[in-house]
Amino acid sequence: MTPNIAIVQIEAPRWRTPPLWLPLFLLWIPALLLAPVILLVMFGVCVAGRVNPGRAIATFWAILCGLPGTRVHVTTHESKVLVRIL
Amino acid sequence: MNENRRQILEMLAAGKITADEAERLLAALEPDAVNASEFTGRTANGATVKTRAKYLRVLVEADESMTGMKGQTTVNVRVPMQLLRAGVRLASLIPAQAHEHLDQALNRHGVPLTLSQIKPENLEELIDHLEDLTVDVEGKEGNGTKVRVFCE
Repeated sequence: MTPNIAIVQIEAPRWRTPPLWLPLFLLWIPALLLAPVILLVMFGVCVAGRVNPGRAIATFWAILCGLPGTRVHVTTHESKVLVRIL
Repeated sequence: MNENRRQILEMLAAGKITADEAERLLAALEPDAVNASEFTGRTANGATVKTRAKYLRVLVEADESMTGMKGQTTVNVRVPMQLLRAGVRLASLIPAQAHEHLDQALNRHGVPLTLSQIKPENLEELIDHLEDLTVDVEGKEGNGTKVRVFCE
């Protein structure tokens, strides 16, 4: 399953954001509209690099589908950053 | 050698049981069989399934002396194993003409690795064995840095 939502929260010494729910699924709209261009560019790059385009697309898709569940949490003395991909 | 094992071997030596029977009895005493069952589960139809790690966790706790920042800094990263598997597949996308340059660069930095010899199945195997890996690093006196890498 591709990532649908990213949650980002940033805390700095003087300000903090609430958990921001970013709807990644909305990126499908521009991605689908630009799909012919993206595929063409990917195909061109693969041919130039002598890489199998099918394998490249499969790898890219596998990485995209592997993203949900990723969590990065960095805390310092005064600030905090949390990124979660669902 | 424990008492049960000794008795089985004595019975085999005395000809009271056959070699096959002794093998079955010894296998039943095998502690690994017990341990293995602890890490496996059973489905509704009785099939045995091994539970696999889903995430790779990296925990870093660094103190001021390491980061130069006030107070302690902690980094907690959770990477899905699926993403790790997909990531290693990127290695198979490195163009063949780049292999030579990369090999030379790695050799210059003391890493005698030939990328063309690494196959996707080797990388899959590497990820599989990563599930058994735990890394614990602690700084020496005066350095409170800790690094933990493990699968969960």
